[in-house]
Amino acid sequence: MDLFNSEKYLANKEVIFIILLILGLLVTATLLFFIWGKLKPAANLTELKMRTKSWWIMAAIFISATIIHPVVSFVAFALLSFAAMREIASISKNVRDEDRRVIIWCYIAIPIQYFLAYKGWFNLFMIFIPVIMYVWIPFMLVIRGITTEIGRSMSVLPTQLMLTVFSISHLAYLLSLPEIPGFHAGGRGLLLFVVFLTEINDVFQFVWGKLFGKNKIIPKISPNKTWEGFVGGILTTTLIGYFLRFLTPMNGCEALIVSFLVACAGFIGDVVVSAVKRDIGLKDTGNLIPGHGGLLDRIDSLSMTAPIFFYLIYNLYYV
Amino acid sequence: MRRVVLGIVYTILMRNFLRIIVGVKFKNAEVLKKNKQFVIVCNHNSHLDTMALLSSLSSGQIAKTHPVAAGDYFGQSPVRAFFTRYFVNAVLIPRTTTKGEQNPIRVMSEVLKKGDSLILFPEGSRGKPEKMQEFRKGIGLLMKMNPEVHYIPVFMKGMGKVLPRGEKLLVPFDTYVFFGEPTLCKSNDMNEIVSEIEKAILLLKDEAFGNVVKTTEK
Repeated sequence: MDLFNSEKYLANKEVIFIILLILGLLVTATLLFFIWGKLKPAANLTELKMRTKSWWIMAAIFISATIIHPVVSFVAFALLSFAAMREIASISKNVRDEDRRVIIWCYIAIPIQYFLAYKGWFNLFMIFIPVIMYVWIPFMLVIRGITTEIGRSMSVLPTQLMLTVFSISHLAYLLSLPEIPGFHAGGRGLLLFVVFLTEINDVFQFVWGKLFGKNKIIPKISPNKTWEGFVGGILTTTLIGYFLRFLTPMNGCEALIVSFLVACAGFIGDVVVSAVKRDIGLKDTGNLIPGHGGLLDRIDSLSMTAPIFFYLIYNLYYV
Repeated sequence: MRRVVLGIVYTILMRNFLRIIVGVKFKNAEVLKKNKQFVIVCNHNSHLDTMALLSSLSSGQIAKTHPVAAGDYFGQSPVRAFFTRYFVNAVLIPRTTTKGEQNPIRVMSEVLKKGDSLILFPEGSRGKPEKMQEFRKGIGLLMKMNPEVHYIPVFMKGMGKVLPRGEKLLVPFDTYVFFGEPTLCKSNDMNEIVSEIEKAILLLKDEAFGNVVKTTEK
């Protein structure tokens, strides 16, 4: 019976098409950057190569979730959130030494949040971190009884949870959304749409900036970001989103608006995390210290695009 | 039997627990394969230090590598001493110098003479979280008596946050273990050997904190 179901599952044309599309794109991107790097060794492609690497990981999560079991992707996203939370707690200078016992509550929140996503308990999922943890963490800090600079920890820890756990868990929740009649790609299609659009937005902002960049947009935070890259990236992403709308239930006009907003959110996520890292002092040394801030760089734009896209699509089609 | 147990506990269970849950990143750990016998010299902030070093070894090396543990602390009760000897593969030494059979340097030196390797924390105790204390002289004497054995300097960053002294709750934080190249001691003076090893570890510390300029000048 199970076997029969999974055969039917795999026979779903959209799913097969999606898997082939991802693999094709990944192979093309990997080859392209490899050849580009060989032809022009001076061009610094580390950023693009790292992005491609994270695509491969995302693709592996996605494909294994489709073929094996959806639970795989909930566990994988939970681990991603955990590693990101651990990283930001480790490099943040705003977390005091006394807070280590409170940080454990941040870690405990992760499996709970993903369990709620898996069960599809939407109301609890939506308020668990912004309301319940927002009350619980300051309370735990108060119980520890060390008041010096306690206000900082009270604001920093819930914000870190929002950035690394609340936002990323929306990617997992896409897989728990109910079926809509006539829309076959389902949550898997939506997940692929937002992750792909976010990553391609990063790449095109980078490429347009490299090719035509002149006027810096926020030189103090990200010296490489230019107006040309920003506008070119957003227009390209909006256009790609329009053509990928078969992965979503959206019509052409909705797809254009949603893709445009996702592109803008991606840019915002990128510069916000850049600013945070600059504040910690990692932006200048980030490349020298192995692994520092590495994961945050990978999920910076996703942490903003995931919730924005989720609530747009939720309010358009699932209310 | 014990070799198999140690191999499973460290190369599978402990290594993955440290990597995935605690967030330990091993840097340059390949150097451990270069020599058959070595003395790993490392800064000490947490009980996890020993776990991390043992789980970075290959399953063949673990049974032949003995962490040096303080007898007055780990030998307090027979159960604890058995556990430390069996599962941590440790040699217990008294921390204060005594003469005769129980002389700590002699105990360690005998392990090396057998062809086995040692893991040594020359600070003597875990100390304050993330602070390095002055090295004790025993390491100098030991290396002077065994000049043919390579030492491997190791610097660990973050273990004092994960599980500091006096804390029972383990809290995951990103942690780094930096391995240096296996080296033979240049001098045969005890004090010079101690400062040579201390310098090698401080060099790794610079690398860990991103002060790469200093290391390239050297």
